[in-house]
Amino acid sequence: MEIYGRHSTSRLAKVRCQVFSTTFNPEGIRTGNKILRQRLKGPALVSYYPRKMSTVQDMIKEFAPYELVVDNEEGDDRLEHIVALKQRGKGAPKKKKGPPSKHEQKGGKKR
Amino acid sequence: MSMFRAKKFDLGCFVNIKTIRDHSKRKAFEAFETQRQALRYCIRNQTLPARTRAEAQLQLTQMHCYTRPTQIRNRCILGGKGRGVLRDFKMTRFNFRMQALEGNIPGVKKASW
Amino acid sequence: MPPLIRPLRPLLQKRIPLATALRPSTSSASGQIRTHASVNHESGASASSQPPSSTDTSTSTATPSTNQADASAPTDARMPRSLAALYLKPLRREAEYGVPSCDLQLRSYTLRNLEFFCDFALRAAYYLGLPAYGPVPLPRMTERWTVPRSTFIFKKSQENFERITMRRLIQIRDGHPDTVQIWLAFLQKHAYYGIGMKANVWEFSKLGVGKAMDESVKEVEGLLKDKWAHLGKKKRPEEETVEKIQEFLDKERMRISHGR
Repeated sequence: MEIYGRHSTSRLAKVRCQVFSTTFNPEGIRTGNKILRQRLKGPALVSYYPRKMSTVQDMIKEFAPYELVVDNEEGDDRLEHIVALKQRGKGAPKKKKGPPSKHEQKGGKKR
Repeated sequence: MSMFRAKKFDLGCFVNIKTIRDHSKRKAFEAFETQRQALRYCIRNQTLPARTRAEAQLQLTQMHCYTRPTQIRNRCILGGKGRGVLRDFKMTRFNFRMQALEGNIPGVKKASW
Repeated sequence: MPPLIRPLRPLLQKRIPLATALRPSTSSASGQIRTHASVNHESGASASSQPPSSTDTSTSTATPSTNQADASAPTDARMPRSLAALYLKPLRREAEYGVPSCDLQLRSYTLRNLEFFCDFALRAAYYLGLPAYGPVPLPRMTERWTVPRSTFIFKKSQENFERITMRRLIQIRDGHPDTVQIWLAFLQKHAYYGIGMKANVWEFSKLGVGKAMDESVKEVEGLLKDKWAHLGKKKRPEEETVEKIQEFLDKERMRISHGR
């Protein structure tokens, strides 16, 4: 090996790189190829949250022009429950219209 | 920022301003990822002239903060919480526990060994 | 008694006697349970033991519509081979060279489904003429999570959850790539619930792949030639200016960077 010397070994390395088409970089200069080799992670990150899917409300809206009725079981259950509450007198109070009258305000403030 | 937000609402999970924000950050990051990588490449490449590299650095710092990957945080898809989220299920520990006990997560059951 | 599946329905409806349906051959007097459907050996044995007067039993079991058929059917008749094979271990083909061409990994959380589907895949491989090996039980993947039962301050009380993934490996050897693709497509078409599949496929070709690919590109170009004609490309005036600007910019960059 001593016959060849440093210069010739580097030349050998260069030729070897040419033959096998690898990068010849004896000084170890940073070329930033590391960045180019990285994979893009955007698609994976974007798909984290589930996308919006069609809901029952959408179906009702879609079929309304054709006069088709879609069963909304959860909504029906809710309405039924509200009716039952009202019958027991436990329903939500009626919504007030306009500002409360003076008499009510006094009563409300009294503690 | 509102310019990155989707014009039409497109989330199917628990919706919260925080989840919407995070989602728009993700989308912004995806849109600008190649540009960021290109700039990063220019900065790291020592064979380029120093001026180009400095320019690339400036450009990278001046990009909108929503295009940064560090802004993204995994949030719970059932409650929007940002802490204690299990990556495997995208849920907070409590939501995960409730779902697992109900048997909604395939294959997960109570362990004892 | 073997698990009840469709071929046994006529038996349940009392349309054929038990002996006809359940006895694969008369030579099973020794009481041994056959696990492998070794066709060649058994066919010789049953042919010798069956009386020459016995009619074609496969037709009698396939269409057991009348009582008359019951009476005429001999007691030592057997099921057709294709039906009998359903109750036995799946048949296999021998690989001549043993060069692996496809590794299929099946994963599931439930063992029952997994075993069933492995069986199905092996049978499919047999009928497609693919030598299949396996199912090799790969190590189970156990994932565990520990979560506090309630809020932060009650950290002392926690709960453990686990998920165990069972895996099986089926290897196809000496399979033609196209046949392997057909097999995989068939399995995907009849995918079973709760089972994930992952396949590694290897293909081998002659030396000089690059040249062959170049030739195929030429062929494709010939095919696409008349399609490209529709995508005409005119030289637009803007393009020239774009080129000029690009040239100017390059020069300017060179000047700024002192020709480095």
